[in-house]
Amino acid sequence: MTAILVARHLSKVVPSAEGALSILEDLSLTLESGDSLAIVGTSGSGKSTLLGLLAGLDLPSGGSVRLAGHSLSELDEDARARVRAEHVGFVFQSFQLLDSLDALENVMLPLELEGRADASSRARALLERVGLGARLRHYPRQLSGGEQQRVAIARAFAADPDILFADEPTGNLDTETGAHITDLLFELNRERGTTLVLVTHDERLARRCQRQLRLEGGRALVAEVLA
Amino acid sequence: MKGMPPARLFLLACRQLWRDARAGELHVLFLALLVAVAASTAIGYFSGRLSDAMQLRATEFLAADLVLQGTAPAEPGQLEAGRSAGLEHASVVEFSSVIATDQDMQLSSVKAVDDTYPLRGELRSADQPYGAETPGGRPGPGEAWAEARLFAALGLQVGDSIEVGRQPLRLTRVLTYEPDRVGDFYSLTPRVVINLADLPATGVIQPGSRVQYRELWRGTPESLASYRSAVEPDLQAHQRLETAKDGNRQIGGALARAERYLNLASLAAILLAGVAVALSATRFATRRLDASALLRCLGLSRHETLALYALQLGLLGLAASLAGVVLGWLAQHALFFLLKDLLAQEIPAGSAWPALAGIATGLVALAGFALPPLAALGRVPPLRVLRRDLLPVPASSWFVYGAALLALGLIMWRLSLDLKITAALLGGGLVATLVLGGLLLLALRGLRRALAGASLHWRLGTGQLLRHPLGAAGQSLAFGLILLAMALIALLRSELLDAWQEQLPDNAPNHFVLNVLPDERDAFAARVGQLATHAAPLYPVVPGRLVAINGEPVRQLVSKDSRGDRATRRDLSLTWSADLPNDNQLLAGRWWSDQPAGELPGVSVESELAESLALQLGDRLTFSVGGIDRETRVTSLREVNWDSFQPNFYMIFEPGTLQDIPATYMTSFYVPPGHERELIELARAFPSVTLLQVDALLAQLRGIIGQVSVAVEFVLLFVLAAGIAVLFAGLQATLDERIRQGALLRALGAGRSLLVRARRTEFALLGASSGVLAALGCELVSLLLYRFAFDLDWQPHPWLLVLPLVGALLVGSAGVLGTRRALEASPLGVLREA
Repeated sequence: MTAILVARHLSKVVPSAEGALSILEDLSLTLESGDSLAIVGTSGSGKSTLLGLLAGLDLPSGGSVRLAGHSLSELDEDARARVRAEHVGFVFQSFQLLDSLDALENVMLPLELEGRADASSRARALLERVGLGARLRHYPRQLSGGEQQRVAIARAFAADPDILFADEPTGNLDTETGAHITDLLFELNRERGTTLVLVTHDERLARRCQRQLRLEGGRALVAEVLA
Repeated sequence: MKGMPPARLFLLACRQLWRDARAGELHVLFLALLVAVAASTAIGYFSGRLSDAMQLRATEFLAADLVLQGTAPAEPGQLEAGRSAGLEHASVVEFSSVIATDQDMQLSSVKAVDDTYPLRGELRSADQPYGAETPGGRPGPGEAWAEARLFAALGLQVGDSIEVGRQPLRLTRVLTYEPDRVGDFYSLTPRVVINLADLPATGVIQPGSRVQYRELWRGTPESLASYRSAVEPDLQAHQRLETAKDGNRQIGGALARAERYLNLASLAAILLAGVAVALSATRFATRRLDASALLRCLGLSRHETLALYALQLGLLGLAASLAGVVLGWLAQHALFFLLKDLLAQEIPAGSAWPALAGIATGLVALAGFALPPLAALGRVPPLRVLRRDLLPVPASSWFVYGAALLALGLIMWRLSLDLKITAALLGGGLVATLVLGGLLLLALRGLRRALAGASLHWRLGTGQLLRHPLGAAGQSLAFGLILLAMALIALLRSELLDAWQEQLPDNAPNHFVLNVLPDERDAFAARVGQLATHAAPLYPVVPGRLVAINGEPVRQLVSKDSRGDRATRRDLSLTWSADLPNDNQLLAGRWWSDQPAGELPGVSVESELAESLALQLGDRLTFSVGGIDRETRVTSLREVNWDSFQPNFYMIFEPGTLQDIPATYMTSFYVPPGHERELIELARAFPSVTLLQVDALLAQLRGIIGQVSVAVEFVLLFVLAAGIAVLFAGLQATLDERIRQGALLRALGAGRSLLVRARRTEFALLGASSGVLAALGCELVSLLLYRFAFDLDWQPHPWLLVLPLVGALLVGSAGVLGTRRALEASPLGVLREA
């Protein structure tokens, strides 16, 4: 197994009205390919900040992140975008589907960005897989929250990412729907051998990950490895 | 993955555009652009073609499209150039000659015409002096047509014989109208028209005689232009080319004014469209903040994201522009079809230029107004996908508004090619925006305090405005600009019509009188006093030529073909007067009564001629009058209203300066129709007097002004329509939030009628404040325009005070109508929104 994600001594400090505010302090972790990691903690504990840093959406104030062999701090934003395009998939709490695209087109989008000729057939197959084969031509506003998140998951897996970042994927869903989404996420994760990093409040979801990272006040409390 | 290949990016942009369009995302922006381009294209075509049509009508006053005029016959090469350019041709030779009968003789101005004359317009004639006129025809060989006053002066009848030089000719008709006569009616002796074929036999034209050769040409603008460029470089010193525009000052003035108005109307339409594009482009950008963050997450670089949206906008702009051009082109056709009976003549098709300008307008407006919000899309941090509160680093607002203003200025300048008008409009608009925007913000703050105890729908309605005072101020400014543009165009329209009406009142003089002898003066004045309802004073006239300025020969000082050149090549009509003529205006210096007598007699000079000759107050002018040089000093400069049908003079002398020289008198008066017999008697009683009828010219001028007035009304309608369309586009931009808010209020139990009342309050308030802004702004901009661009007197326009009411009604009803969807919003919608 090779390390796909290595973070060393990460810290993030942002300016605020009361002076510099530290939201993340000296955090290190290593993820092997195929691992799953849950980042848990209370609101404001720095979970989303950490996710942003690990995915290369933001740069740390100190420390380094190595993602799929690329040292993110040494890359400019455009180069980081290329790393994301090649290796990373995302699932968001608020789904982040494009309103003007229907379900199929939303899933096709990353494939089209890559210029793949089989975008349409692949996207169809993925939507079938997440159980939305009958709703290909529905716009996001015509879909329920759970359906929208399934489209988002199909989109995240469309480009065959090496690592998937999920930010509160069940946060906007009721318990039952959330459970279905969770199942789907882990099934696909297993099928495709994708590394999974997710931020969640949901203890049940967290427990399904191999490892948990509990944050409080920007520090790692416990890093547990579950069987 | 390397950067994305351009072809794939383009394909992706097309696909996204198509999907956005299908999802109804682009309607507003597309509509705004469509209106912008269609309005500017339609007005561009309409004003261009109308001005061509009026030009065509004005060519009647030349009897041709283009005239090559000289004091010697044109070179064979010059004639050949015209024929090979495919132009129609007619020749005219004019000279002065004594017309003799058995008993008497009279100096006349003879015009020999060939069988194709005139190329534009028609001669008119009667079979009896002052009889009913019929159009068409021309004297054949052996025939002559003469004006009624020649018949009167020589006691002639139709059918009598006269001699022109050595050639006897039979008088067959009474000449009543020549299309190309009007330009120089001050210096006229009775006109006789003969056939060019008889000219050699008269033997009148000898080397050294004063003769005008006029070669008349008619054809398409292209062939005229090619003829012009072939002939112009090699013009002889005595030759010049004349077109309808330089031919006649009355027509020129009316045309120029109409052109400026139409230009201004299209500027207003573009201003409106600019506002619409700005509103909808901002909406386009803000609705794509999330999408662009997502695209960045999916691996698009900043430049690629930017390029993707720029391409989408560019494609959209192009599509909307093309559709707009077609629509505008159809609209102007429909307009001409409606005006068919009024315009009753062929209308040139117009070039591709207005269409290209229309497209350019759409694209430049899009670039200017959409690029700043678009640039913000490129700066969206990808982290926004996790934290929705992250907004792109805002661009400096100077950059945003600078780009928009630059685009607007560029379009305006390109269209009007008039720096002054553009600066007045843009500068006035900008100052008005800043000042009024500030006032508005203050007023909104005050309102917040005042409304604490008002009823619910008031608080709801104004709450919407007060929650985002900056946004409300911006919206009010945008609606204010729309009302301003519409009011300004309406204002200028009535100003324009008034100016024309003033130029041609119903009792504008329809007769000019020359050559009244000094001893007949009082008797003549008394007769005219009985006959005419309105008469100008009798002005003494002495022919004289300006020969030197400050001792230097004037011919060395003037540049070729300038006004000064033309005015010093011939005798001017010099006059003296104790009083400043009614419609003259003193620009510099003082009138006689207000200044001590100098060592040299004073002269007052017409301002445009003074400018052309670079005359200053105090310059010494030498005139050759009756063979003797006379020195004068410039004591004042006058502005002369050449459009008025009154005797006008370049030079007015101090009384007592020229009184030793025999003078004749001239005047003008108005006689209502039906007094032809009295006019004949007047002409008989004063045989030396030259009586000129200008009814035909007046009628023609009124016809043109009538056409243009109708056109102006139609253009006003266009601007109004554009304004209302833009109003709706502007409302659309706020729809999203209103739908959300409507759903929330419904969810909280608000009834439909409460929502309607709140909305009505909000929009009526918004409209009323827009109206106040528009009224103030309109006064400011009109002040600048009148002062610096139109040379009109500015007075406050009290009727602008109705604008707040108009604004409240218009914006109020449009607002309620345009945001209907917000009322229908299901309360469930609020649950759907995160």
